Amino acid sequence: MNAEPIRVRVTYAKHGNLRFIGHLDLQRLFERALRRTNLPLRYTQGFSPHLRLNLASALPLGFIGIAEQMDFWLDEQLPLEEISARLWAALPAELILKDLRFVSNQSPSLQASLLSSDYEVILPMEIDPSDLQGKLAALLARDTIPVQRRKKSVDLKSLILDCGISGIPAKPVMTISMKSTPLENGRPDELLTLLSMDPADCVITRTKLNFLEE
Amino acid sequence: MKTINLHQLEKILYHVEKPGRYVGGEHNQVLKDWESIQTCVCLVFPDIYDIGQPNLGLAILYDILNKQPDILAERSFAPWHDLEARLRQDHIPLFSLESKHPLSDFDVIGISLPYESLYTNALNVLDLAGIPLLATQRTEAHPLIIAGGQACFNPEPMADFIDAFVIGEAEEVALELLGSFEECKRSKVSKQETLLKLSQIPGVYVPSLYDIIYAQGGSITRIIPAMQDVPPFVIKRIVPILPPHPTHLIVPNIETVHDRLSIEIMRGCTRGCRFCHAGIVNRPVRQRPVSEILQIIEDGLASTGYEEIGLLSLSSSDHTQILELTRAVYEKFHDRRIFVSLPSLRIASFSVELMDELRDLRPGGGFTLAPEAASPRMQAIINKPLDNTVIEETVRMIFEHGWLSLKLYYMIGLPGETLEDVQAIVDAGKRVLAIGRQIRGNRVRVHLSVGNFIPKPHTPFQWYPLNSMDELQTKLDLLKTGVYRTGIKLSYNIPETTLLEAWLSRGDRRLGRVIHRAWQLGAKFDAWGENDNMPFWRQAFTDCGLDPDFYAYRQRAVEETLPWDHIHTGVTKKHLLRELEFSQAGKTSPDCRQQCYACGILNTFGDKRPVSPLVYWGCP
Repeated sequence: MNAEPIRVRVTYAKHGNLRFIGHLDLQRLFERALRRTNLPLRYTQGFSPHLRLNLASALPLGFIGIAEQMDFWLDEQLPLEEISARLWAALPAELILKDLRFVSNQSPSLQASLLSSDYEVILPMEIDPSDLQGKLAALLARDTIPVQRRKKSVDLKSLILDCGISGIPAKPVMTISMKSTPLENGRPDELLTLLSMDPADCVITRTKLNFLEE
Repeated sequence: MKTINLHQLEKILYHVEKPGRYVGGEHNQVLKDWESIQTCVCLVFPDIYDIGQPNLGLAILYDILNKQPDILAERSFAPWHDLEARLRQDHIPLFSLESKHPLSDFDVIGISLPYESLYTNALNVLDLAGIPLLATQRTEAHPLIIAGGQACFNPEPMADFIDAFVIGEAEEVALELLGSFEECKRSKVSKQETLLKLSQIPGVYVPSLYDIIYAQGGSITRIIPAMQDVPPFVIKRIVPILPPHPTHLIVPNIETVHDRLSIEIMRGCTRGCRFCHAGIVNRPVRQRPVSEILQIIEDGLASTGYEEIGLLSLSSSDHTQILELTRAVYEKFHDRRIFVSLPSLRIASFSVELMDELRDLRPGGGFTLAPEAASPRMQAIINKPLDNTVIEETVRMIFEHGWLSLKLYYMIGLPGETLEDVQAIVDAGKRVLAIGRQIRGNRVRVHLSVGNFIPKPHTPFQWYPLNSMDELQTKLDLLKTGVYRTGIKLSYNIPETTLLEAWLSRGDRRLGRVIHRAWQLGAKFDAWGENDNMPFWRQAFTDCGLDPDFYAYRQRAVEETLPWDHIHTGVTKKHLLRELEFSQAGKTSPDCRQQCYACGILNTFGDKRPVSPLVYWGCP
């Protein structure tokens, strides 16, 4: 194997039908899409080599992502334009390539440097923003906001970094910023449920991933 | 022509398991414009997406139909219980994955019926689509309901629900059928007239155009056309040369049962095993040349990105160029980081050599062999003779060449089988394990997978009764006791599920009422052993006044008119009877590539036989 692999960082959007594809399935989808590019892909070494691929963070089922990130590695340097063109051609229509750049092999992994995620939630039309504002303020005023995840209790309050309601009546939008580290991961749908809304009635978009400054 | 309410659907999808089953949008899906297309076809595989999507038959039809500029083909599968409940609750009709149109908006619905346990699901799909189940209750306003697939070689049990069956290989006849249908649609002829027209196409069976005359005891006296111009019998269709293989296969977004690039390298089998339905109905043998297969792999990998390919046939080692193929596959693709599986290998050291050619392209896991019977007597009866030394040599070689696990397929309940013959299966397992342990030590795993024999239509054994549940249970108990504490793994089928398959595969037209009733009572997903639908089925037989034993346990007289006698596979009854006699005399009929037994295939299809030696037919 030649020496230094080339690390490529992809920023992409996931929407439409692909919202209903889970994290592991997305990983496999990317693997096959990358194989279709015919790029000189880097594989892990060892007994059962597999494609070197690294997704920043699992996007919950049903969410739209407009700035998701992924790293993959090549065995040799190629112009970004060529990589981009081949990837465009290989990706399904509902995965949109937004940005592509080379990253140093020394920089930490996406998962390790991810701090938080920003979400935008389009709320159901019938929601009264000022009423919701009140409910939200009351909720956030609490010392702890325990939520149940499987058999574990998690304090949602410590995961919410910022939260606000904007938008005009009849088109209310909520913006949420939450921790997204491997140990502490906020789920905006849990917050919506606590505010007596069905997440299925909302359109939830992850708008940004915030990483540790390099 | 409006799609279903997508907003409503999306809301539901948040609440069901694996919503990716229902949304489509996969790479290589074909989405055409409904406004500009003449004939809209929905291909239905009536099991969940995970099982139906990898079906190669579905992929072949999807490819052929969508290549036509004036036809569009979309897909739909049976929804799992959770989505079904939501669809019914919210009155959302079942829809296609591509454009989300309700099934009732399509001109034609083509249902894939490769096995009988899908029948209730097929009814459920029609019901979820709001389409009347009974063909007689449907009008020109409803889609035409077509069915095809291996189970349809006995179409009678589903005759009440299906407008027309495709018998045999659909590649050519599907287009003829749709062409004729489109003509009828354009000239606005009645459904009755359309069906009569369709019945004129070779390989198309329109069940409503036939009358079945029953004798006092319930057996059939005659099957006769109900109208002039209706052919007295329907001969299956074949393609003389395997048509171009699809390469732009849909790549599922979620995990499915066979998540790989499947390539059919050969169709048919010349071995003549007497229990084997596939071996009779898929004659003659036709194979693809190596160069073509290599090109399919090349194009298929480029178009799908798959990491595994499956080279499929009924008996891979019998492909005349199989060694050349495995060598070339290794040569050409060994640096592509793919795995190549080559199932259905004959018991011979040659098979191990073939796998060796693939070297590190072999997927992990065990080696699989299918002796089907263990005692020489049973092997002669089923016409799958195996020399013990050959078995031992093959097994030895498998373990010596690196495999640690070996799976062996056997059948019980075969005609003339005694408990000694069943015990021979256990003994064979023990011998294999001993050989394995001698070579590789205690890490060796031996797995006996035992199926229950069902006398299938169109085979030399079609006249035999099914073993009783007690007989099968006694034999299973013997196996279980036999492998106890030997370290041999045993898997088997519950006798009751075999019974259901026997009724449905051997039934006549009157079974339609039973299927309908069983479905009403709650039977669906019959292939899934977990939900025990047997009480529904027994109740359904009672409600319909029919005796289930009549279908499963009756030795049928050779002069009896069988429910599928008007469906011709090209293999004559005379040939089946001769094979039956041979079987009873313990005589074998070696591979028919050496010697023609005049089974009838060449008489029926000889004029289609290609001259090119490249597309070799198995017949001498």
